Amino acid sequence: MIYREWPMYRVVLENHQLLPLLPRFNLKMGFGELSVDEVCREHSVNTDFFLEIANAYLDELYVPGEGLSLFSLGTMVNYIKSTHKYYIDIALPMVEEKIKRLMNSSALSKKEISLVTTFFNDYKKDFMAHLSQEEDNILPYVLELERQSAQDAPDPEFIQKLQNYSIREFEKEHDRLETSLKHLYELIIKYLPPFENLQLCHQVLNDLAALMKDLVDHADVEDKVLIPRVADLETLLLSRASPV
Amino acid sequence: MRISTFILHIDSYLVRLGLASTLNRIQGVRVLKEFGANDSFTTFLENHPVDYIIIDQAGFDRSVDFFISKPELLELTILLKDPSKEDLNMGLPLRDVHATLYLTDEKETIIQTIRNLLHHRDDTYKKNSSENLSPRETTIVRLISMGLTNRQIAEKLFLSAHTVMTHRKNINSKLGIKSVSALTIYAIVNNIITIEEVSSLPQA
Repeated sequence: MIYREWPMYRVVLENHQLLPLLPRFNLKMGFGELSVDEVCREHSVNTDFFLEIANAYLDELYVPGEGLSLFSLGTMVNYIKSTHKYYIDIALPMVEEKIKRLMNSSALSKKEISLVTTFFNDYKKDFMAHLSQEEDNILPYVLELERQSAQDAPDPEFIQKLQNYSIREFEKEHDRLETSLKHLYELIIKYLPPFENLQLCHQVLNDLAALMKDLVDHADVEDKVLIPRVADLETLLLSRASPV
Repeated sequence: MRISTFILHIDSYLVRLGLASTLNRIQGVRVLKEFGANDSFTTFLENHPVDYIIIDQAGFDRSVDFFISKPELLELTILLKDPSKEDLNMGLPLRDVHATLYLTDEKETIIQTIRNLLHHRDDTYKKNSSENLSPRETTIVRLISMGLTNRQIAEKLFLSAHTVMTHRKNINSKLGIKSVSALTIYAIVNNIITIEEVSSLPQA
């Protein structure tokens, strides 16, 4: 658990897994002695929001709660988008490039190489499709819901749509992107012949592990923070539209 | 994870609200409705199957007759107890209540208690409906990994192409895997097929 008064350098020093989180909030290093709150303010980041996300990342059991009402869904949507950007621009290309190099430098059979490279190409396609589905459909819906909730008279058409749709539907079909990566990791450590280039092999495995953990945490943010809040807002808007 | 539905029957508005908001933050939980001292949840239950009922001692004592007439509901019941008060309920076997929460519980305890329930329920659910593949589905995964097309699989297993498609859809949704290449790696790491047996053709 981290708190606003703590020096930011200490937070990152003791929790290096927060490193990939920093660019998503546009937080630049060179913290000096500044506290979490001071660093956030300096970068125009909502401190409560940063703390909710960071704590959810650090602690499996942490249930974001008290700070939730303090920031808008728009803030969340922006954060989710910048996480997606991190996956697309940094995390995926990084591991892909290493996998390619590892395959080229290995004594694997053609079949084994094609198994891995075809897998990764397909995985990337599915990954992109998953993100597009969220960015094209779910996130705009969330923003629209927030916009309608702020209106004195919400659009009746939207209310009608709401009676037949809930964000919980999305929760049900929210695929876990880390599953296939786990299989790939297992394939490498269990079934492929050992790699000569251990350094590169370990880097690939480390990158895969970090990406898996990040994807789990990200899905948690969506499932435990975003969806409950959106569901609450749906209920609120519906009860306003049809008072009992 | 599937959604578990809850209703709350708690006299204190503040406790009810606090518990509902705590529960709703837990993944897989949905509080369907909350009932206070003057509400009756019995009619609601007739039309709405729920997974769990959280009820306080006062409410439980008032509803003893109802629970005696429907003892199966006790298996869904979580009692919210005030540790400073004695049990009042006469004659009803409290031990049949599924779980107990205490008014003095901290957030972590409440969440852990509920998670344990859901976890257990999820396990039972998995065993019954199974994320594991059926033998037929396993065979199909094997043939897909060997590079066979739907039509070839249909011919080999004496099935219609339509049936093979249905199996594939079920496999995809059970495993959350869409591509043939990911399915192949799944098959290898789960010992359904060996690397040697896998099709050497690049798979579409």
